[in-house]
Amino acid sequence: MKRSNYVSASARIAAALFCLMVCGGNVFSQQSLESNFRMTGDGVLAVFEPQRQAIQKCSAALYDGRDLVSYGVVVSADGYILSKASEIEKVAKLDVRVDTGLFKNAKIVMVDPRWDVALVKIDAAGLTPAQYAPDSKLTQGTWVVVNGATSRTRRRILAGIISANEREIPAEGGAVLGVELEKSKDKLIVKSVTEGSGAQQAGMKAGDVIVSVEGEAVKDIKGLSDLLNTKKAGTKAKISVKRDDENLELDVRLSARGELFREISRNDEMSGDFSNRRSGFPKVLQHDILASSKTMGGPVLDLDGRVIGMNIARANRAETFAIPVEELKPLAEGMIEQSKK
Amino acid sequence: MPFAAYAFPLNAKKAPQSREDLLAIQNALHAAIPKVEPATVCIDLGEGTGSGVIVTADGLVMTAAHVASGVGKDVTVIMPDGTKLTGETLGLLSESDAALVRITEKLPGGGDFPFVEINRTDDTKLGDWIFSLGHSGGFDKDRGAVARLGRLVRVANATIQTDGTLIGGDSGGPLFDMEGRLIGIHSRVGPQLPVNMHVPVKVFLDGWDLMMKSEFVGEGPFAQKPEKGKGMLGIATKPAEGGLEITKVGKSTPAEVAGLKEGDVIRTMNGTPVKDRDGLKAVLAEMAAGDKLALEITREGKNETIKLRLGER
Repeated sequence: MKRSNYVSASARIAAALFCLMVCGGNVFSQQSLESNFRMTGDGVLAVFEPQRQAIQKCSAALYDGRDLVSYGVVVSADGYILSKASEIEKVAKLDVRVDTGLFKNAKIVMVDPRWDVALVKIDAAGLTPAQYAPDSKLTQGTWVVVNGATSRTRRRILAGIISANEREIPAEGGAVLGVELEKSKDKLIVKSVTEGSGAQQAGMKAGDVIVSVEGEAVKDIKGLSDLLNTKKAGTKAKISVKRDDENLELDVRLSARGELFREISRNDEMSGDFSNRRSGFPKVLQHDILASSKTMGGPVLDLDGRVIGMNIARANRAETFAIPVEELKPLAEGMIEQSKK
Repeated sequence: MPFAAYAFPLNAKKAPQSREDLLAIQNALHAAIPKVEPATVCIDLGEGTGSGVIVTADGLVMTAAHVASGVGKDVTVIMPDGTKLTGETLGLLSESDAALVRITEKLPGGGDFPFVEINRTDDTKLGDWIFSLGHSGGFDKDRGAVARLGRLVRVANATIQTDGTLIGGDSGGPLFDMEGRLIGIHSRVGPQLPVNMHVPVKVFLDGWDLMMKSEFVGEGPFAQKPEKGKGMLGIATKPAEGGLEITKVGKSTPAEVAGLKEGDVIRTMNGTPVKDRDGLKAVLAEMAAGDKLALEITREGKNETIKLRLGER
């Protein structure tokens, strides 16, 4: 699919517009709606108090020291929480706030790379877990509510609508290992390993020679990329490499090319703080609520205060993705069960 | 109009007060979106895409001037189901970012194009609930057009501002009131996320006749007039009896595409008689790439008129 970026505001126009707004601010001010009654204003959001109360209980806030890094969904009374893995994995000391309580030293129990979901455990009892909606079959235009800002005692919410069809989000630029290869016609020699890639996590090193992928022999870049194109980002692939005279078998998590080698588009430039991992999801809901990379991971509620999904990626200025409840519920239950084994 | 337009009840309230109010907004969206989505198209210009909305049964599309980017340009109009149709940009208002496009091909199954109603009453006001549709970031059939809810937060003469968030690719797409009537066309965004600008339909209606005549109105900033004297025809000539005889037609030039042939004698260009090369040059010096040119020629003793658009030199 072509994803060309027509620019709705070229740099020149954006600059002109900015000037116009600054210069004309006083003239237009009488003609503008007071912020209290805009989509993000308290005057509009007050009516969502029942949903806010549900968010207060079932949306966890995850911190690195004083900095919010992600939200999470409380999925059990005894302290299991789902969050966005790629935003919290690097945090050394993870603190979690649920309602008004602060829980220090939360543990990442398990990660599902396919969905970019982490199962986090805090030492708690008697929490009010999220109530799942029976399904997420909501038509375009249906209200949804998420966690906006958070203070020590109080959750604010933001509201919006389901804005597009439920669908798969293929990996941006296809699935990659995260290595740079030397120019060689008959050998795949690793020149360097990309920081934060699955190849690095699996222990691949410069100088390794990639021999096969999932048992299939590969000799050149085309053969390798053809094989990787049949795989999905977030899944793992068995890569056989030759290091000196040793043969090694590495289990490498595949990444989306866009995640490791980001080329900032014009649309990205106008999108503020979006999620680094924003593609390669088997299925997502889409809504129009303003968000940032740090406000992902939390629950998406319907007007009944039930969870219809979990925010998983701020894709750009106008699009936010969430894991649908049909996928989220078995994922949560499966991860908890596995972690107890 | 003799009758009063139906007003969306929630627009009379400062904010929704109850679940019933929220459901009224939701129900309005559920009724309106499926009605207007089939007419929300993607416009592909080759080097990028924008959006547009069909407003007549015969395929007239409203879009932004910076999407159309010129007069008489060939574009591809992508229907929501993925059907690709040829189109041509008509006129544009370069100072306010308004343009019209005509779909020049019929739907595969024939019949009328789906189209939306234009709200001609000009009765929108601050605080009104609105929704935006558009092919954000480009066409994606599985995703469909993206809907965003917001309120009308600022109105100036040639601009509506809303807090329904737009992004590249939405440009030229439709802004609707809660009955699904068109009130604006997406234009540009401000530095903050909730600042999104639209061209009011009134600007289109005021400039309608000029745009229908394929006029390029104004000096920008949303579109730049092609430079005069840069238009290309693609022929070599020599003076002859009654005008200028074509001695050579360049490969893949507008002249060749239009069917001009060696030996044709050009008598007039856009009504101006041409007797020598300076005459031809004088006519072309006043024209730009994309401009229309009508040539009266004599071919094997018969008079003919050939119409074409100049190419880019």
